[in-house]
Amino acid sequence: MTARLIMKLRVANMRFTTPDVLHLQLVHPLRPALPEWSAGAHVDLRMPDGRVRQYSLCGDPDDRSRYEIAIKREATGRGGSVWVHENLREGNEVHISAPRNNLPLSDKGKRYILVAGGIGITPFVSMARTLARQNKDFTLHYCARSAEQAPLLAELRDICGANLQCWFSADSRRFDPAVIGPYDENTHVYICGPQRLLDAVQSALSAWPEEQVHGEVFQMTVDENFKPEPFEATVASTGQRFLVPADKSLLDVLRANDFPLPSSCEMGVCGSCECGYRDGLVLHRDKVLPTSKRQDRLMLCVSRARVSVTLDL
Amino acid sequence: MMEAFQHPAGSIAVAKPGGATAWQGKLLHIHVAPSASYEMEELQEAECVAGRGIVGDRYFEGTGTYSPKPDVREVTLIEQEALDAISRNDPPLQDGPITLEPRDHRRNLTVIGVPLNHLVGRRFRVGDVILRGGRLNFPCKYLEELLGLPVFLPLYNRSGLNCGIERGGIIRPGDSIELLTS
Repeated sequence: MTARLIMKLRVANMRFTTPDVLHLQLVHPLRPALPEWSAGAHVDLRMPDGRVRQYSLCGDPDDRSRYEIAIKREATGRGGSVWVHENLREGNEVHISAPRNNLPLSDKGKRYILVAGGIGITPFVSMARTLARQNKDFTLHYCARSAEQAPLLAELRDICGANLQCWFSADSRRFDPAVIGPYDENTHVYICGPQRLLDAVQSALSAWPEEQVHGEVFQMTVDENFKPEPFEATVASTGQRFLVPADKSLLDVLRANDFPLPSSCEMGVCGSCECGYRDGLVLHRDKVLPTSKRQDRLMLCVSRARVSVTLDL
Repeated sequence: MMEAFQHPAGSIAVAKPGGATAWQGKLLHIHVAPSASYEMEELQEAECVAGRGIVGDRYFEGTGTYSPKPDVREVTLIEQEALDAISRNDPPLQDGPITLEPRDHRRNLTVIGVPLNHLVGRRFRVGDVILRGGRLNFPCKYLEELLGLPVFLPLYNRSGLNCGIERGGIIRPGDSIELLTS
């Protein structure tokens, strides 16, 4: 569990990088330096009604004077992007958390392959910048409908040069995961974009160890077949036992019992409400914890248990 | 051995009158946060409401991290002297000095010349407002996480004082602070 500071930042600049993607520059009205971050990090944007959405930082990690985010208007989404497009203007105040990184660049690789689909490009702008600065061997595969509909394309051409490979369907070029090539122990692959792109690349790389294939998706875990069941949660430090009904999360029940716990997305993608557990068969359901941590960590917002679980609280 | 009044802490304190009692303090900064985890904001003037808190602060609004817990949190104070000691890594508990700005420590009032650890169970005056010392503040891991700085141990035993408000009113930086004996 990590608490993050929430700041009231000012929209210093906003422009359309494609017809439906806004690129925002955010500055702190009082502090010259914002909290530091590394390539792959995201921030939470808090809307006035309390909803929270995550956006990858797409600026330069070495420039602490501003944060940059790019937001695609998604009319069928969960409402965050439409609120931003319709309400935010230059000079407005926007509530932004300090950054967190769920998609850090591994320092173990010698070669890096980044695969982005559409607005999934955002975490790769800072990654490409970092890799280029470190003179690392990398290729960025950028899938989009066309150059006009590829967010931040001009910046990426500057940063990546010949390391950028565009796959625009309007030009009849479609990305084939086979271009990644055979397994190589020194190569790390990062994927960000629509679920079908993640699925395609991850299935093509199914023989690779999961430590070398990294993906991030900001959307709710959808499993229509999952039916929540009630279970019992025990707090290890106090011995308190709580019943978690089928229609409530662990987070809901703990908060109702005076446990002040941080959270953000409350759909298993941001990692804010991570918590340890000791015994119990846990149904994880989150998109953030790696397999290696699932034996003793869970996400209070979406994880449940069969019959009972003991929490390290 | 070092001569006691040559020590960085002793040499600063020796020049100041008073001790646990005959001291004269001053309010340096007022900060509030609108809600849990929000950055603190500095005020040039604040309204203290008896039995509730500082208008605009998360513990006045009931939106603080610890608001659900029954506790004394109407106003929290911390000594500038403690922040100064941490900034010179005294005692040397971490790798180097940590600068904890008044807007960062998340206590409402930064004060100087006030022996907060002696004020549990005492009444004292900040400007026209009267506060009652409820308990010593205790550093929390939550603050370490928010700041990304290892401040838990350095703040141990000098993390400030949690107070209730006996008589409300307006406070401003520069207000004098005095022990009330009657």
